[in-house]
Amino acid sequence: MAEQPIDQWFMRDVLPLEPMLTRFLRRNWRIEAEIGDLRQDVYARVYEAAQRERPILVKPFLFQVARNLIIDRLRRQSVVSLESVADFEWLNVSDDKPSSEAYVAARQELRLLQVALDELPPRCRQVVLMRKVEGLSQKEVAKRMGIAIETVENQVAKGMRLLAQALGDRRGSVTSEARRYNFFKRPRDVR
Amino acid sequence: MSAEKTEETAAAWMAREDRGLTSEEQDALDLWLEQSSLNKVAYLRLKATWHRADRLAALKSMRPPPPERRVWLPRMVFAVAASLLLIAGGVIWLRPHQPPEQVYATTVGGLKEVRLVDGTRMELNTNTRVHANVTATGRTVTLDSGEAYFDVVHDARRPFTVYAGNRRITDLGTKFSVFRDGDDVRVTVREGRVRVDILKNTALDTPLVAEQGHQVITKGGETLVLAKPEQDIANDLSWRSGMLVFNQQTLSEAADQFNRYNTRHIVVEGNARKIRIGGSFKADNVDVFVLLLHRGFGLSVNEQGDRIVVSH
Repeated sequence: MAEQPIDQWFMRDVLPLEPMLTRFLRRNWRIEAEIGDLRQDVYARVYEAAQRERPILVKPFLFQVARNLIIDRLRRQSVVSLESVADFEWLNVSDDKPSSEAYVAARQELRLLQVALDELPPRCRQVVLMRKVEGLSQKEVAKRMGIAIETVENQVAKGMRLLAQALGDRRGSVTSEARRYNFFKRPRDVR
Repeated sequence: MSAEKTEETAAAWMAREDRGLTSEEQDALDLWLEQSSLNKVAYLRLKATWHRADRLAALKSMRPPPPERRVWLPRMVFAVAASLLLIAGGVIWLRPHQPPEQVYATTVGGLKEVRLVDGTRMELNTNTRVHANVTATGRTVTLDSGEAYFDVVHDARRPFTVYAGNRRITDLGTKFSVFRDGDDVRVTVREGRVRVDILKNTALDTPLVAEQGHQVITKGGETLVLAKPEQDIANDLSWRSGMLVFNQQTLSEAADQFNRYNTRHIVVEGNARKIRIGGSFKADNVDVFVLLLHRGFGLSVNEQGDRIVVSH
């Protein structure tokens, strides 16, 4: 299936916000083990909504969805009283300037990737390195390392998951950006 | 299905795609992606990551290359083919049919690798023209314009000489790069040694030998030799993998570099010229570069035909 424009949009405009989204979810959801589920739900909702209509301002939209999802879950769990939730003006963000961390400079990007690469387990790292740095095909990697092509494929799968996790989980330098979206701490605005 | 499980399946698909899908597999993948947006986003997330990791290729030029293997086979095949030809042709063509002078050129943004008949490898950077003369007695390459990297097969009986402007660069067993802009010549030595001398030489002129890690910069009759850290040499040669690497260069210098590779020229105006930047960029991707300038420094970017004007 050819890549559709919406897929490109999703990868280009939504996914780079992942570190910020992850921090937001962590701050507002206590159960660490569920963060991955929440994030995926947020993405799926954003993707589906965008199929109907592409949001003009991506970042506020993404966090709006995240907030709604959290509220839904809280409601289902009926853990917290939610009377006041509607009063939280926590998404009063009109600008859609890319955050400084969403678009990291090329050199910083390379460094981030390098750190993520270096943290991979040795064999996995070797496979990813040959595949991405040396530009060898999976077949060539298998031959060079003297391992089965299936093993290479498994290591590639493992490698991309770990890289995605490392890059999306970055505990960042730009925390103030995420703090603005912390709706449980945001002061009430007067309408 | 939990996010964990979905991600696992998505990763298996992406890894298979990275290896190359059969048409049946492609159909199965399409089906899986259609099943749920959860599948779709998990897949896109890994795909984006995997593409992002392509950037790691930039590390290649910074790493020492793997030991080079000598390629015997083509030579052997050539020798066998040549002897067969000799037999078949009744020893009529003793000299290989090879015009003495060969011209090689690239256009703006081009990058070309050429192997000369003696086995020497040349890489031509953007907007470059050379002519090469390889005979039984000597090997000369003249750099008419642009920049070229040489990985010379050493042959003491046939010196390898590059002419650039008023300079002559003679190989003493080495890999080096020569850049020429009129009479300004820059020689970067990656391995081994080269001798650089001035052509209209006076009696006093003594040839200069530059070694690994040296950069020789000439302007008219003046010559400057710099000993550079390995990393800087690697950065200067990053064009060989299509990259431009900057380390605290001014924006106006960076723009000059980009303009060598592209027909659309960046024009930096006012104080913005003095901004210092770092990073590695694809030489042919001006758009991303100016976008980063816009986002990173809040500079305004105006496209005017073939000019991209960048200013505060």
